[in-house]
Amino acid sequence: MARYKMVVDLDRCQGCRACMEACKVENNTPAGVFWMYVFRFEQGEFPDTSISFLPRPCQHCNNAPCVKVCPTGARYKREDGLVLTDFERCIGCRYCEVACPYGVNYFNWRKPDHAFDDYKMDFSDPDLVAFTGGVVPPYRNPDHDVKHGPEGRLTSGSGHFKGVMEKCTFCVHRVEKGLVPACVDTCPVGALRFGDAEDENSPISVFIREHESFQLLEELGTDPSVIYVGGAPPSTESREIERPMTRV
Amino acid sequence: MKRSTIVTWTMIAVGVVLMVVSYFFLATPWCNTAVECSNPRVPFAPAIFVLGVLIAFSSAVYYAVAKD
Amino acid sequence: MTTATDTQLPQGIGRLSRGWIAFFLGAAVLFAFGIVGYIYEQGQGMVATGMRDLGAMQGATWGLYIAMVVYFIGVSFAGVTVAALIRLFDIEKLKGVARMAEVLTIVALVLGALAILVDLGQPLRGIVNLFRYGRPQSPFFGTFSLVVSGYLFASLVYLYVTSRPDAARLAQRPSRLQGLYRWIAAGWEDTPEQRAKDRRVTFWLAITILPLLVVAHSTLGFVFGLQVGRPGWFSTLQAPAFVTLAGVSGIGHIIVLAAIVATVLKAKDRIRLDAFIWLGRFLMVLLFVYLYFTIVELLTTMYQPTEHEKVLSDALLRGEYAWIFWGSLAGLAIPALMLAWMALTRHWRVSWLVVASILVNLAAIGKRYLIVVPSQTHGQLLPYGIGSYSPSWVEYAVVIGLFGLGALAIGAFMKLFPIIELEEGEA
Repeated sequence: MARYKMVVDLDRCQGCRACMEACKVENNTPAGVFWMYVFRFEQGEFPDTSISFLPRPCQHCNNAPCVKVCPTGARYKREDGLVLTDFERCIGCRYCEVACPYGVNYFNWRKPDHAFDDYKMDFSDPDLVAFTGGVVPPYRNPDHDVKHGPEGRLTSGSGHFKGVMEKCTFCVHRVEKGLVPACVDTCPVGALRFGDAEDENSPISVFIREHESFQLLEELGTDPSVIYVGGAPPSTESREIERPMTRV
Repeated sequence: MKRSTIVTWTMIAVGVVLMVVSYFFLATPWCNTAVECSNPRVPFAPAIFVLGVLIAFSSAVYYAVAKD
Repeated sequence: MTTATDTQLPQGIGRLSRGWIAFFLGAAVLFAFGIVGYIYEQGQGMVATGMRDLGAMQGATWGLYIAMVVYFIGVSFAGVTVAALIRLFDIEKLKGVARMAEVLTIVALVLGALAILVDLGQPLRGIVNLFRYGRPQSPFFGTFSLVVSGYLFASLVYLYVTSRPDAARLAQRPSRLQGLYRWIAAGWEDTPEQRAKDRRVTFWLAITILPLLVVAHSTLGFVFGLQVGRPGWFSTLQAPAFVTLAGVSGIGHIIVLAAIVATVLKAKDRIRLDAFIWLGRFLMVLLFVYLYFTIVELLTTMYQPTEHEKVLSDALLRGEYAWIFWGSLAGLAIPALMLAWMALTRHWRVSWLVVASILVNLAAIGKRYLIVVPSQTHGQLLPYGIGSYSPSWVEYAVVIGLFGLGALAIGAFMKLFPIIELEEGEA
């Protein structure tokens, strides 16, 4: 069994937020929802200021507070390290959201927008492949409507039901096909890495061994699967600048 | 012992046993590292727990109402 | 309403005066307002409320609803405590308020359960999935299995067992409700054996419900107190403080209800000043314990706070929430002083007690709100900035509707069954 981890190289990150966009397109998240979120920070007083960036996907904690508090087991941890939500079981109590110290959960406040449902097509149709070259158009990925993993639960994509909690899935639908998450694939400077950390010779294990790293809010004992390399954790001095519109 | 007393004690015992068994053995195991940790070992185990609570307290009604 | 065949039932049961009709209509209008709000919320999705996501969305994901869940379940403290005290310590003077305390407990628990339901994004799934997949690890398990199922059911059993003698007496005379009373009485006969049986049952019920009460209110405290990632929540004091404030609001509520019932039913001889004095003293003790907890908590957070705790306590003490914080503190401290004054001078007045009780209940709602909301808007550990939350009209409407439903339920009970235990020969 693999044990997936993500490495964020803060020395490389340039804060372009392409990963945020890739995530939105891949997972069809509603307006104002950013499963992958990139902080742009400013520190110090003018004129001695510095700026830094910090991508924040779900941390997929090994000791996840959200999994512990979920009253129905809709939020669960898989052996491959992914923390997922069963959208068909979630009752929408939002306990996971208040328990999470990282603020990665997003609730479906509105009715999901099914305006694109009519566009659902069989993208494996040869006629269509001749036209698309095998690329699945971004507006509605059919992979989100099938169940994933040996446990067979509806866990990928966004906007299935109203009143249900959603968050970053590490792109479970891609990982199960042997692909890396959309954000990792998109990053133009290779600041995001993804792989199996259980295999000691995998590139990600070697990378983690060879670099000094930290986890976000390590002191809480949540043991995140997202490892940060280079840079420094945000301090209380960090002020967020250039926020995208995030409130619905 | 009277019959009503015996039935009352049986109801209490059954209720408590249901509670203990469903809480410690039938419900979700105390872990959060695998998929199994999100499913109860027996379906509707929490309902069995609640049933145990209901049976245990119903014994009071039975005892009060029962004719000897 | 009264027909020739009807004999007069005691305490105005089965008869509706103009005042009562107005009361029921008023309560029904409030309840209908809540229904309208909830239908609107279900149609729009929960975007109709003021709640939003934590983190980048800078909102609070638990708001007024959860504060009211905690408040209502807190109020339910009253009934079982009063009942248990009567049975365990033979406090005869509280007999007059025993049944209304039980009714208050049951109504408050039902309202608490409904407040949980309206807060769920998928309420129908919630009803099924909690019983299907519920996990004991989650503090919510205690809330739905012990509080809502166990505690509510136990209170119903208790109410039923203590109601049978009265029902048997009322069933002896012809009235339109005779069938109902006969059914409730279930063959109760006034024999020494039956009385001994009832005493035994109520005694043991009181003994078993009392620990259940502590556990139930504590699990509600654990919902917050076990969360390490939220400044202001992670505290050992959370559970005991919850139990104590539950007592404060519950006893306060019963004082108000007893005063209203005594006035409306002209039953000042049945609910005597003795009972009010006893409840007042109990309320005073609980209030001082809670004030002590508050001071301890304040000292702990102010002495050497971490950066995150400081942001939170600043918001509470002199920031956005200062008016609620100091208002609630005044709403607890002033009644405490009023009660202490009355206790010292031994000069008790029901009107003062009622004022003190209303104040502590407003303060309890304020304190519940302050437990739930500021830790979300001002308690982010990552630098998301300060969030904001204010309830929308939908949330106010639903909460008002719940109060309306509670008033309807208690009023309906008063018109169907004696809310004060009957005395020998009253029926």
